[in-house]
Amino acid sequence: MGQSVVSVMGVFKEFYRGDIHIPVLQGIDLEVLQGDYYALMGPSGSGKTTLLNLIAGLDTVTEGSIQVAEEEITDKSEDELARWRSENIGFIFQLYNLIPVLTAFENVELPLFLRNLGKRDRAERVTTALEIVGLGDRMDHFPRQLSGGQEQRVSIARALVSDPTLLVADEPTGDLDRKSGIEILDLIQKLNEDFKKTVIMVTHDPQAAERAGHQVFLEEGKLVSSLTEI
Amino acid sequence: MKYLKYIFRNALRNKLRSILTIFSIGSSLMLTTLLYGFMDSQDEVREKIRQYDRIVVLSQQGFMQPLPLAHVDDVRSINGVLAAVPFQWYGGLYEDERVPFAQFGSDAEYYFDVWSELQIEPDRLEAWKNDITGCVVGDTLAKERGWQVGDKIRLKGTIYRFDLDLTLQGIYQETENPGPLVFHLKYLDEGLRQMGDRMSGNAGIVYVKAESSDVIPTLTERIDANFENSTKPTRTESEDAFVQIFMDMIGNVQGYIQNISLAVIFSLVLVAANAMAMSVRERTSEVATLKAIGFTRNGILTLILTESVFISVLGGIFGVLAGVGVWWAGGVAFPGQWPNADIPPQTLSVGIALSAAIGLFAGIIPSWRAAHFSVIDGLRRVV
Repeated sequence: MGQSVVSVMGVFKEFYRGDIHIPVLQGIDLEVLQGDYYALMGPSGSGKTTLLNLIAGLDTVTEGSIQVAEEEITDKSEDELARWRSENIGFIFQLYNLIPVLTAFENVELPLFLRNLGKRDRAERVTTALEIVGLGDRMDHFPRQLSGGQEQRVSIARALVSDPTLLVADEPTGDLDRKSGIEILDLIQKLNEDFKKTVIMVTHDPQAAERAGHQVFLEEGKLVSSLTEI
Repeated sequence: MKYLKYIFRNALRNKLRSILTIFSIGSSLMLTTLLYGFMDSQDEVREKIRQYDRIVVLSQQGFMQPLPLAHVDDVRSINGVLAAVPFQWYGGLYEDERVPFAQFGSDAEYYFDVWSELQIEPDRLEAWKNDITGCVVGDTLAKERGWQVGDKIRLKGTIYRFDLDLTLQGIYQETENPGPLVFHLKYLDEGLRQMGDRMSGNAGIVYVKAESSDVIPTLTERIDANFENSTKPTRTESEDAFVQIFMDMIGNVQGYIQNISLAVIFSLVLVAANAMAMSVRERTSEVATLKAIGFTRNGILTLILTESVFISVLGGIFGVLAGVGVWWAGGVAFPGQWPNADIPPQTLSVGIALSAAIGLFAGIIPSWRAAHFSVIDGLRRVV
């Protein structure tokens, strides 16, 4: 059994819209091990993105505990979480979220600005990351000069470049055509299998979820099943 | 340094808005530069004047009340006085001009002793001294009107009933400010006397060259004490204090300028803050992305504040350069009427520092909001 990377224990998350109480997650327990590839599935509003955000340290729990790489993250301040994210989490967003005024190289370099690295070290890492995603020849292109699939590859390179503990992907193929979507899923699978990256992916697409070794279903804020473990 | 490229590209991503912001800051700072340039140039002129050790004797009731000509000789006899001349405004119209240029009646014998910094050829000075209808002018005035030695200059009196038919005997080299036309006060006084005009016998004010700057404080007291019991008591001022009297006549110029500048700066902060707020609002998801990948609140705050300061300083540099350009063009277009001093470098530095401050204040609210909004809400804008 591998080392635990994510440990979610008794997590509740509630929102308030004025006086209206919205329970989003109701007692989630989840254990993700080093090198695991998890797909979080469920209908809209089931809480899968909220769970992903909590694991990635973008949001805080109402109750419960989340440990990532054996580090409790629920008691961290916003700035502590920001620093922690820069070292531990690589994000892959549905709409890529690249900075349009920066080239592919510069977008991938951004997370490294938060590390104590010299220009040459940064350049080496960025080049490697872009070569892994197959965009070694598109480094100087701006996002508007790239296709959707290529933009998502840049986004993956950005997530990868700081060698994070965990890659989180929120509907990474949601904005792509089928062919590009398959290419992105292949790439994520490659990162998991060849580079032993731990991945948690939120998806609506059952075919995308099939790529993951573990599929987890959420319904009304509760974990209803975990297919591979049944 | 590593963020400069990002800041620079963000600042110019909406070129039209950035250019308009830069222009609005620039044009307002150009105006401020000109106003402060004028104010500072006056300070500079007063500062330069001090080195000439001149003092001015006025009537105790102000310079509009002329002193008697007899006072001039009395002043000359006072210990510490190197030279003294009467200085009477004539205010005549030349040809079809509607506004009189600078023209004064004085004493050719001592005029260039009092204004010792002015240069005139000795033979021209002698010619002026020997010609009661002769006059001299500064080179700016001569160039402006195309006058040459020997030219006849007729001035039609507006204050005095006596018109002057002058012959230009010399053109003197100025040092800082454009110099006036100077004629023999005797010529005017004689003319008035022959007409039985009550305005004869007046010196206007008396300009004095002191032996040194050290004697000026006691000299002014001695001169006033000398005329204390006369029918025309005096008030003696240093030349720079006398210049200040004219400035004060316009009103509290410094106060006006400061108040106008404050209003302009306040408006600029609002304009720049609005532009920054729009720019940041459009980039909500990008800022959220930066926060997601690990940028702290202080990091975001610094990035946006720097961008705001950068845009504003671009406007400041543009404004200050435009101000210097307009100042220079004003000097070329209106050589006699424009302040004959450069805008001091510290005024330019203050203009650029001011633009940085505008950018800083304008960026505070947008950057604070960007730094503090929820990452989840920011990402939700696009996801």
